Amino acid sequence: MNTRRRDVTDANELTDIGASRRAFLKTSGGLVLGFSLLGPTAAMAMRELPLDTTTDELKDKGPFPSVDPAKLDAWIAIHPDNTATLFTGKVEQGNGSPNALLQMAADELDFPFDDFFVVMGSTTETVDQGPTYGSMAVRYAGPQIQHAAAAGRQVLLTMAGKHFGVPVDKLTANAGVICVTGASDKSITYGKLVGGQRLDVTIGASGETFGMKVAPNAKLKDPSKYTVIGTSVPRKDIPGKTTGQFTYVQDVKVPGMLHGRVVRPYGIQSQLLQVDESGLKDIPGFVQIVREGNFLGVVAETEWGAIQAAQRLGSKLHRKGPNDGLAKWSDWHDLAATDEVWNAVRNAPGKAQSVASRGNVDNALKTAAHTLKATYLTPFETHGSIGPECAIADVGKDKAIVWGGTQMPHQAQRDLAELLDFPENNVEVRWVEAAGQYGRNGLEHVMADAVIMSRAVGRPVRVQWMRWDSHGWDPKEPAIVQELEGGLDENGKVTAWRHHMWVPTMSDTRLLPSELIGKPVGKKNLGHAAIGYEYTFDNADVSSHNESRVGVITAWMRAPGQYETTFAMEAFIDEMAAAAKQDPLEFRLKYLKEPRTIGVLKAAAKHYGWKPRVAFSAGKQGGRKAKGRGIAWVNRDDSLVATIMDVEVDQQTGEILVKRVVVAHDNGLVISPDGMRNQIEGNIIQSMSRTLHEEITFNHAHVTSRDWAGYPILRFHEIPDSIEMVFVNNSPAHKSTGGGEPSTCPTAAVISNAVYDAVGVRLRQKPFRPERVKAAMDKAS
Amino acid sequence: MAKTVQLNVNGRPHDVSVEPGTRLLYVLRDNLGLHGPKFGCGLSQCGACTVHLDGQPIRSCILPVEAAEDHVVTTLEGLGTIDNPDPLQQAFIDEQAVQCGYCINGMIMTAKALLKTNPQPTREDIKQALDGNLCRCGTHMRIVRAIERAAKAGEAA
Repeated sequence: MNTRRRDVTDANELTDIGASRRAFLKTSGGLVLGFSLLGPTAAMAMRELPLDTTTDELKDKGPFPSVDPAKLDAWIAIHPDNTATLFTGKVEQGNGSPNALLQMAADELDFPFDDFFVVMGSTTETVDQGPTYGSMAVRYAGPQIQHAAAAGRQVLLTMAGKHFGVPVDKLTANAGVICVTGASDKSITYGKLVGGQRLDVTIGASGETFGMKVAPNAKLKDPSKYTVIGTSVPRKDIPGKTTGQFTYVQDVKVPGMLHGRVVRPYGIQSQLLQVDESGLKDIPGFVQIVREGNFLGVVAETEWGAIQAAQRLGSKLHRKGPNDGLAKWSDWHDLAATDEVWNAVRNAPGKAQSVASRGNVDNALKTAAHTLKATYLTPFETHGSIGPECAIADVGKDKAIVWGGTQMPHQAQRDLAELLDFPENNVEVRWVEAAGQYGRNGLEHVMADAVIMSRAVGRPVRVQWMRWDSHGWDPKEPAIVQELEGGLDENGKVTAWRHHMWVPTMSDTRLLPSELIGKPVGKKNLGHAAIGYEYTFDNADVSSHNESRVGVITAWMRAPGQYETTFAMEAFIDEMAAAAKQDPLEFRLKYLKEPRTIGVLKAAAKHYGWKPRVAFSAGKQGGRKAKGRGIAWVNRDDSLVATIMDVEVDQQTGEILVKRVVVAHDNGLVISPDGMRNQIEGNIIQSMSRTLHEEITFNHAHVTSRDWAGYPILRFHEIPDSIEMVFVNNSPAHKSTGGGEPSTCPTAAVISNAVYDAVGVRLRQKPFRPERVKAAMDKAS
Repeated sequence: MAKTVQLNVNGRPHDVSVEPGTRLLYVLRDNLGLHGPKFGCGLSQCGACTVHLDGQPIRSCILPVEAAEDHVVTTLEGLGTIDNPDPLQQAFIDEQAVQCGYCINGMIMTAKALLKTNPQPTREDIKQALDGNLCRCGTHMRIVRAIERAAKAGEAA
């Protein structure tokens, strides 16, 4: 399993490490690849190694071995040079969470962080700890790894006890060295003690993925003894990423590899009628087209050849029609266009879900002194990775190897096996980091593209999507419609609250290429009410209508659904506060009772210097730039966030600039403070981008926002002057919950509320592009 | 038909046999094995493919390779290495100014050109210089800080 370290250590030294898996890999020629987080020196780790195994060499072997989570060597290897490797099924997506997992392991193993490296995701090398999503890596995989590492420490102490002939309680372990207490001459490094053996010890494991319990008898360290957790260790991948020496999945080259490009249907449901392949023969390096049902791809010897061939077939930024290109498609045009999306979402069949039901909202609304009603609209969005989806597949007769950057390599292994009609263990996913994906983008789909094309040509094929394939066809965050209604009595007390949402599926895992070939893999599933409702109103009704696919494939994107529901909930409560002529923070606090929610709101207000006043109470501001402030909070899976922003609204153009951001963040113990700050900054900037700019547009056939011009995102001139952060409850007394998503949620509401404070206009439809803001201001004046 | 193109990349000459019209990006990545410049959009919109042509930042995803002949091409790899990074690369490491890192090539190459002509840029100068480069992770604050750090270090040197 440590073949990836062969370049840095004598291979003989590693022979016995992870013998069962390694034996297989060794005899199969060595599955080697330059990886970012491996190797005692960064430079060596970045070296690109030959990828010399292909399925050809594996055809007489049995299935790929699987990993037994009950064994210590499934998690940890100690090398003779006193370096160590952590193996985890979790993967890096730019969030830095594997770095945090390594910190947690380093403390429990008592091993120096600098000499500890991580192998992620590959199905032959790591345990399936569930996909890396939902801000759940540290929260769920963290304790699994801590237990494995603590068990490892105990195993090493036992070995050292035998080595020195003393009881274990006479030993101390520190920074990869075990000493006999009181005998300074008696010490041994972990590396020497293990002597190149694999840690073939049963530590126990039960359950699966997120719920898996590992090494249940391991005794964890007293948190007061942590030396790595809570410190900002530098990320190991960054030197390679800043020098071009890092290997992304886009950089992987496999011997004999061809280049593929896809040609997607003209309309979402168009049928492929005809392809004129003869028009491609003059393209240098052209190999063949791959046509299977409505799936169309092209394979060439060079990337440029594949791009040109795909373009002739019809893969281009803007196609003129279903016959624009050598591939002819049926003229399907039943898609809801941009402005029709809302009705399509409202009218979709689905299932009702109640989130909260208290008192009698209808009666309370009837008797209210003042009532409010509002509709909030949030459009389809794309993940928009800067690096379009890419994968390499090598499909042999009975085995397949797929290189992919998916956030769920083990699930991808199962899905691709189903697609190929192979047993699960005849497919290996070799995980290699991709560009940031922020949820389920097209990285699983492109693996299926590559599999279908490699199967057809009988050679390894690298497929990379063009920009318009990614914007046009990656699974989208769905459009959501929300209606809210509230009642106030004559004293400004909330007497009624109704929040109803229509939510299409955010977990449509159907692989697009599998649908195109007519062999669907994955499930469409239904949407769900992603909301953390905590208000204590006497009469409240929070409910959802959960729907299947509406228009296009939709799958989770950073804080799926909850970014949108927080927008509606926290902007409408602001509308209520304004109607009640009360300060928006004090108004919220009257109806909250959870201490941690109140805690983040107060912490943010304190840091910001919040002085109570009614929003827009001073009325219209003179001058071109109007200033305002907004606040909102969220509870996203037990992580609490309160955000305050200052904005400036250009009263002539409608442009919104966010000037100052304050975030109070309570996710319990923060493992890696700078890593968390990096994540919060990212969440804030990305959610500002989603709020101010982002919307997928459609005509009746397909997505029309197919590049960065049609789907603009935030640019440097729009960044705030500061993003200030306060960590709340950052102590071992509070277990670590997630940080990858929560601070995305409040942003749209905060900005909407701040714009109201500045110019007295409520923005209830995202994105808040200048023309929409200007139109709202013109209408109000 | 393929023809031989003579390139000067990171101080070394290369004879590359390619189809005329092939974009410089694919030659750098596929023929020369460089990983710094990235394919992001192929439309000159995002900046992930940025390299220097005679010291000027250009988008290699749209530049036909022939246009790079008789010019000096510098990629991210040409600035420095992990063991010996350029001061600007070091500033990005010091500020931990990376999330996924896919856009960082373009950020560093664009900023490097900025610092050459404007060694002490204001924050506004930096934002303006990078306005054509897209980052999806939201690393902007750190990227700006890294460039400010490098400028400050340059001033002290």
